Amino acid sequence: MRRCIDRLFVLATAACLLFALGVISFIVGVIVWRGFGALSWQFLTDQIRSAGAAGGIFYNIVGTLILLATALIVCVPLATGLALMHGVYLKKQRSRERLWLFLSVLNGVPSILFGLFGLMVFVKFFAWGKSWLAGGVLLGLMILPTVAVALLERIKTLPRPYIEAAAGLGLSDSQRVWSVVLPQSVGGLVTGLLLGLARAAGETAPIMFTATIFAGANIPTGIKESPVLSLPYHIFVLAQDSFDPAAAENLWGSALVLLGLVLLLSLLALPARLNFHEEAEK
Amino acid sequence: MSFFFTALAAFFLLLMLFLFVWQSLPVWRQSGLAYVTGESWYFRQQEFGALAMIYGTLVVSLLALLLAAPVGIGAALFTAEILPRRWRLPVKAAVELLAGVPSVVYGLLGILFLRNWVYDGLQYLDLLSGDTLLTAGILLALMILPTVMTLSDDALRTVPAAQGRAARGLGLTRAETAIWVSLAQSWRGMVSALLLALGRVLGETIAVFLVVGRRDNALPESWLSLRPLVEAGQTLTSKLGGSEINIAYGDPLHWAAMVGLALLLLIVVAGITWLGNILMRRKEGESYASLH
Repeated sequence: MRRCIDRLFVLATAACLLFALGVISFIVGVIVWRGFGALSWQFLTDQIRSAGAAGGIFYNIVGTLILLATALIVCVPLATGLALMHGVYLKKQRSRERLWLFLSVLNGVPSILFGLFGLMVFVKFFAWGKSWLAGGVLLGLMILPTVAVALLERIKTLPRPYIEAAAGLGLSDSQRVWSVVLPQSVGGLVTGLLLGLARAAGETAPIMFTATIFAGANIPTGIKESPVLSLPYHIFVLAQDSFDPAAAENLWGSALVLLGLVLLLSLLALPARLNFHEEAEK
Repeated sequence: MSFFFTALAAFFLLLMLFLFVWQSLPVWRQSGLAYVTGESWYFRQQEFGALAMIYGTLVVSLLALLLAAPVGIGAALFTAEILPRRWRLPVKAAVELLAGVPSVVYGLLGILFLRNWVYDGLQYLDLLSGDTLLTAGILLALMILPTVMTLSDDALRTVPAAQGRAARGLGLTRAETAIWVSLAQSWRGMVSALLLALGRVLGETIAVFLVVGRRDNALPESWLSLRPLVEAGQTLTSKLGGSEINIAYGDPLHWAAMVGLALLLLIVVAGITWLGNILMRRKEGESYASLH
């Protein structure tokens, strides 16, 4: 009887895993299989034509990269500040817990709310209209918890002798940060940024009211009224109202490019991430 | 410097909360709590009741969680307890990678495959289209499955391996060890993982938007009726993601009603996050699992 239940348990859990892996392979498989046909040098380097039915996605890729670069610049100082605050400057357990709660709540805020916030503040109050800068800032704020936590985890695992040596030399907190903590933990920042940007690259909700349009933009030259094209919004619009087979072909191609970009970013972050999980086991 | 940047980040979150409260004041003043319990939303008649959208959000989210939790936890039990070590890493890596597939990609697959499958599969129910609350729930379940899996796996593996070995040594089977030792010790982590997934489902916009049908005022005649599952509906997020937000901007009351939806969403999701945090803190201090 117990044997029987044990077998059943193993079978059932294995079925769950196979199902999950099946879903994953299906998703990637379909995108690669359908999207591969659309990929060509011309598709990647031509601009959008006839509402997505012809031409390529050059400016969509450029727009997404502009948004990511802006998010990166916004996020680095903020995330570093938050992580150092938690790992170095806050001495009381209670204040650290509060900061952690703040990071969790910020991490949980749905992305559409960032979009609405951006619509109120940047588009309407600052009267920027749709602007790449608004989108970049919003994405940067959205990924802030991911980046801050990755850096923070690394700071927490710094070898104690380093910290003690710094303290023994009589360094102040700031001297300690610049000469020991940051140089030793910058890898955590990089991992966090890769993970964060992978998430930001695929987000549609924060940028659709604030930064991106479907067609008719290329490289922005200012801040006001300077939207960009982007990959996720391109897919979002085409998915809704395209029954044209030529557009469908481009749609799959764009999905493949976006998926490739996201997976590449997460793949680069993967070794550090798995390391972390494996260490947690010991 | 660090103080300044931390203050800046905190200011941003407070500003968001303040703006949502302030901008939604007109609708609270006009309707009060009837805004939350009101059954009809007709903006031309200046009538704003959010109940149908709250209902849609709840149905879709609970459905997604009910579908994803058993499969995700089952799969995690297999990877954490039974799968040999050399297989563990590639599986974990694949799942971690795929947890990041953008929601718009899921939405695309939902539009092109899932809604047809739902429509064809449930033809005997006389569906009007494949865009239903059920479709949205299934799509979201698939979307959070990798997250549920990898977080549950992390939680299970916080249980010291020596305890598992001791249990096996005492003659417990693999199933008994997994349930009475590993699950019993890591249930806080599990619940917290599910709460995180719930928060994500509640706020997911793009994938839901594409397959939910976006039909206003879709409320069932009886609360226990399952019929609305196979009909089009509207969630808080699909309403906020639609073009109505642009129509609303000129009219203070309509705009306030839209922002009110955002405020409701923010409060619920923040509450859930807070709950998850409390659960984790009691046992093991700060945990990575509460932030993914």
